[in-house]
Amino acid sequence: MQITDQMFNDWVKKHQRLLFGIAYWWTGSRTEAEELTQEAFLQAYRSRSSLRDVELVKGWLVGILRHCHSQTRRRTKSREEVSFDEMLYEPESRPTLSADALALHQSLEKLKERHRLPVVLFYFQDLSYREIAEALELPIGTVMSRLARARQQLHELMKAPTKLVLMKKAESL
Amino acid sequence: MSCELYKSEMYAWRPGDDVPDSRPLLDHLATCPECAQWFAHFSASDERIRQAFSEVPESPSLEAKIFADLAYERLQKTRGKATWRSWFLLPIAASLLLGVMLGLGPWLQEARLSRQVATLLSQPPSAEINSTDQRQLLAWSASALSGDAALPPELSGVEFRAASSLKVASHKAVLLKMKNEDRASLLIIDARLTAKNKIKSFHETAGSDSRWSDGRRTYVLLFRGSEQDMHAYMNRMGIVT
Repeated sequence: MQITDQMFNDWVKKHQRLLFGIAYWWTGSRTEAEELTQEAFLQAYRSRSSLRDVELVKGWLVGILRHCHSQTRRRTKSREEVSFDEMLYEPESRPTLSADALALHQSLEKLKERHRLPVVLFYFQDLSYREIAEALELPIGTVMSRLARARQQLHELMKAPTKLVLMKKAESL
Repeated sequence: MSCELYKSEMYAWRPGDDVPDSRPLLDHLATCPECAQWFAHFSASDERIRQAFSEVPESPSLEAKIFADLAYERLQKTRGKATWRSWFLLPIAASLLLGVMLGLGPWLQEARLSRQVATLLSQPPSAEINSTDQRQLLAWSASALSGDAALPPELSGVEFRAASSLKVASHKAVLLKMKNEDRASLLIIDARLTAKNKIKSFHETAGSDSRWSDGRRTYVLLFRGSEQDMHAYMNRMGIVT
């Protein structure tokens, strides 16, 4: 099927917010998320002939975003090397973070990448196991086991607020 | 199955799931008050996490940036039909690829470029030559750069009124002020300091900039204003956005 420029432009309008949100929680940074989303749409445009079914465009775009993310991680320092202060004090996000979002940032930072990627797709976009499996190119059983582990860790991490989260909570009282 | 095993299954369960596999878990919850209470806490905590995930910052200029990338890509594709040019650019592309593979050099250069752009937006150098004669300005720019100062096609619609020479990350560069727009100027650097064939836009407190490279030189459009105003100006002047 021929994918016209107009069709692709419509997909950008429809899905850019979704891709940006996923990239934001994967990277913890608005700036990085913007660059990643731009790169993903550019790559998607270049490889649009590889899309077999336009009904599957959302999962296809998320898959390309994941591919761009892994390329970027190889090129730059790993997320573990980014200090949390660096992420937290990104000026644009500082004023709007709630205590729960702050705790979530800190918790995701502690998860391994193989757990962080599926758990973001699970919670942020409510994707099904099958959709997550397709986007991450993993068997569905692997996705289910990684998600169960990731959710368990996330619940435990969110239960134990850090000093920064407690300070944030105190600020809002 | 023990309560502990059922609890571990709960982490794999998702609200709304009604598959046969989750039947034993749901049956157990109906008969075990302790697990039912634990599950209620788990569900509340899960909902809190889901709510926290919905806190994503706004990115008002993202869509414009994506469309700028796409417009540039489409334009390059149209121009790319001249196949001799692709062959001509192949050695340059190969050198660039090698450069990327060699390490972090480009990243550091881009960071230095960003710092220089921020400085130029707040304190542009004074003009060394004022002229409305475009040929004279470009000839002067050529002498400040290495080789010719022919502009790429996307800049064919702009005219200049003044120029100054400077160094960016030890590379020769010129800053040309636009003729009909006081807020805009064009920085040309004799090196590739940013992504090739892709326009990247940024906004700083002192203004905005769009930068791209043709592989040989880097072009930075500096604009003392918002990113939206800069894109509107670029559209007016026929610079792809």
